[in-house]
Amino acid sequence: MSDYRALGGVPFMPKPARPAPANTTGVVGWMRQNLFSSPSNALLTLVGAYIAYVTIMAILNWAVFNAVFEAESRRECLDLVGRAGACWPGVVAWSRQIMYGLYPADQIWRINMGFLTLILWVVPLWLPRVQSKVAIGLTAVLVYPFLASYWFLGGQAGFVWSVLIAASIACFVWVWATALLESFTGATFGRFVLTLLGVQHRSEQDQRRVLRAVAAAMLLVAYVAVSFWTLPFVPTTRWGGFFLTLVISGIGIAFSLPSGILLALGRRCDMPVIRIACVLFIELFRSVPLITILFMFNTMLPLFLPVGVEVNQLLRAIVAVCLFAAAYMAEVIRGGLQAIPRGQYEAASAMGLGFWQTTVLIIMPQALKIMIPTIVGNFIGLFKDTTLVSIIGLFDVLNMARAVGEDTRWLGLFIEPFFAVTVLYFICCFAMSQYSINLERKLDTGPGGRR
Amino acid sequence: MSEITELEEAAREAVASTRSTTRIIEISKLNKWFGQFHVLKDIDLTVYQGERIVVCGPSGSGKSTLIRCINHLEEHQEGDVIVDGTPLNNNVKNIDAIRSEVGMVFQQFNLFPHLTVLENCTLAPIYVKKMPKAEAEALAMSLLERVRIPEQAKKYPLQLSGGQQQRVAIARALCMKPKIMLFDEPTSALDPEMIKEVLDAMVELAKEGMTMLVVTHEMGFARRVADRVIFMDQGEIVEQAPPEVFFGAPKFDRTKLFLSQILAH
Ligand SMILES: Nc1ncnc2c1ncn2[C@@H]1O[C@H](COP(=O)(O)OP(=O)(O)OP(=O)(O)O)[C@@H](O)[C@H]1O
Ligand SMILES: [Mg+2]
Repeated sequence: MSDYRALGGVPFMPKPARPAPANTTGVVGWMRQNLFSSPSNALLTLVGAYIAYVTIMAILNWAVFNAVFEAESRRECLDLVGRAGACWPGVVAWSRQIMYGLYPADQIWRINMGFLTLILWVVPLWLPRVQSKVAIGLTAVLVYPFLASYWFLGGQAGFVWSVLIAASIACFVWVWATALLESFTGATFGRFVLTLLGVQHRSEQDQRRVLRAVAAAMLLVAYVAVSFWTLPFVPTTRWGGFFLTLVISGIGIAFSLPSGILLALGRRCDMPVIRIACVLFIELFRSVPLITILFMFNTMLPLFLPVGVEVNQLLRAIVAVCLFAAAYMAEVIRGGLQAIPRGQYEAASAMGLGFWQTTVLIIMPQALKIMIPTIVGNFIGLFKDTTLVSIIGLFDVLNMARAVGEDTRWLGLFIEPFFAVTVLYFICCFAMSQYSINLERKLDTGPGGRR
Repeated sequence: MSEITELEEAAREAVASTRSTTRIIEISKLNKWFGQFHVLKDIDLTVYQGERIVVCGPSGSGKSTLIRCINHLEEHQEGDVIVDGTPLNNNVKNIDAIRSEVGMVFQQFNLFPHLTVLENCTLAPIYVKKMPKAEAEALAMSLLERVRIPEQAKKYPLQLSGGQQQRVAIARALCMKPKIMLFDEPTSALDPEMIKEVLDAMVELAKEGMTMLVVTHEMGFARRVADRVIFMDQGEIVEQAPPEVFFGAPKFDRTKLFLSQILAH
């Protein structure tokens, strides 16, 4: 690459790089440059700081400094500080219901176990050396719910449900075995099992057969374990609080992404029947407010079902939320698809990739990546929208918070529980939003991106 | 400079003398319309194995459309296209068979920005040819070495210069071990400094005897490498000749006009 030297001429000597001037680096430099760069900017900074100070102090005064933390009733709080400070004992007394609804107190550990299972299920996704992240993520969405359903619902599991629960447990074992093996040895679970059984040199067909047998054996063991496992039944009418909110929005979020992808693909499909069906579904659900859909499913669905067929009220709400979320997600995904240049499809076709290969390997990863902010925005929206189920009589976290003020002991105590719920929502939504920003940065493969 | 040309000349003759008489692409009476617009009119073209063909012509003359008909990125309405004995029709199997033998390099590179350079190259071998991953990676690395960018294998396409990206695109196409390579203006989106590195990679490919159809305005390349230059205008092949004849004594005035315009700057 240095053949220009052979051409002769005056040699070009690049200047050495110098460090940046001191006052543009460091905290002081940053503040000088961004907050106090001119008199008007400095004024704005000071006014802004003052407003922030006043607001934060007002909130702290109410919520902490003047607040009552120990009292038997609202009356007592009012006698102590009047309305100048918050009355937290009411919220504390109701905190179990706000978090778990009317779930039997001695069974609440099951809810915690259910969510702990989920956390453990997804932890391997953050372990750096784990390779099978896609498979683990997929099982978390597709298989975990069966195990969770038994944690939360309990009772007598029929054959099919038992098998599903067993599959879920077997999968969980697989997830952790994979995570550990890949972290410490770098071998996949399959390879490890084959080596353990000493069949790693057999033909590929034999190996596949062995792996299938191992999977079946794991399933069988799990099934036997499940048949010895009984938890008391807790009807969904007793589910409530933040737990219910998480269940509804969790299912809605998990359902909306895959079904939104399928609907978006369907809308671009060449087959008119599929396309029209998808367009109708999307437009119908997008043109109606969620609350209307909830009412429809709650009150009208039973009218269409045969007499005697009872669909659980929670299930009706979940279905309504899922369909609504799917329609919205479909449009988000379609937006992402539209942003993919035609050249990507052409390059994939020219290489001989088929439609599904192109979609899964080339188009969707890019479309989803572009749309991360919007997708997560939708998730956050959905998470907040689930508060609407309180209107059809489900006791989600918001409804539970309202119930505090209707308790005779804490009559009229509304602001505090709502404040607590606000903080709860803020933490969740802010975490989601931060995670999405993080993800975007991690997935950035642009010119200034990673590496 | 002159010594390079001589080497190339020798290589070209060596290949020319061994060139088989196998017809690898046969196009006859090809007609294509975009709506009411008649883009390709009665195209007849036979390409022999190992032949290097440069296609040129004014903008909108149908050059891209012609070579995109060969791997069915565009569907033609009339006429026959036979690639390596396989007729191109609506039979999906035939289309897949042809596409796995025909590599294509685009003006805009069309690399997959979410995959590393290496993954771009191994994708099709793994998913289309069902090649084991390790083998595909070894193949990809050897081809990246051939286009002189093995050190970029772990980077993402948008972190490379245009010339590097286009060389990755060439390596990616070669990973399918194609019999034919189609190039649609591979250097038109590049800065002058990078054109040479891409052309070098193409010249090397030509020396190895690859059958190539290249749409380009790089007349220097045509002169040095092509066995045949085809001039198109308004959806027709106006003239085709070996480069010496084509540039030395073109038959049609339309060709002369085009050459005078393109060689003027
Ligand atoms: N998808 C399409 N739909 C309608 N018309 C098209 C389409 N693609 C190309 N055309 C038209 O067909 C004609 C030939 O296009 P083509 O891209 O083959 O030209 P070209 O010779 O490659 O030109 P250029 O040098 O500008 O790339 C042009 O007039 C173009 O406008
Ligand atoms: Mg073109």
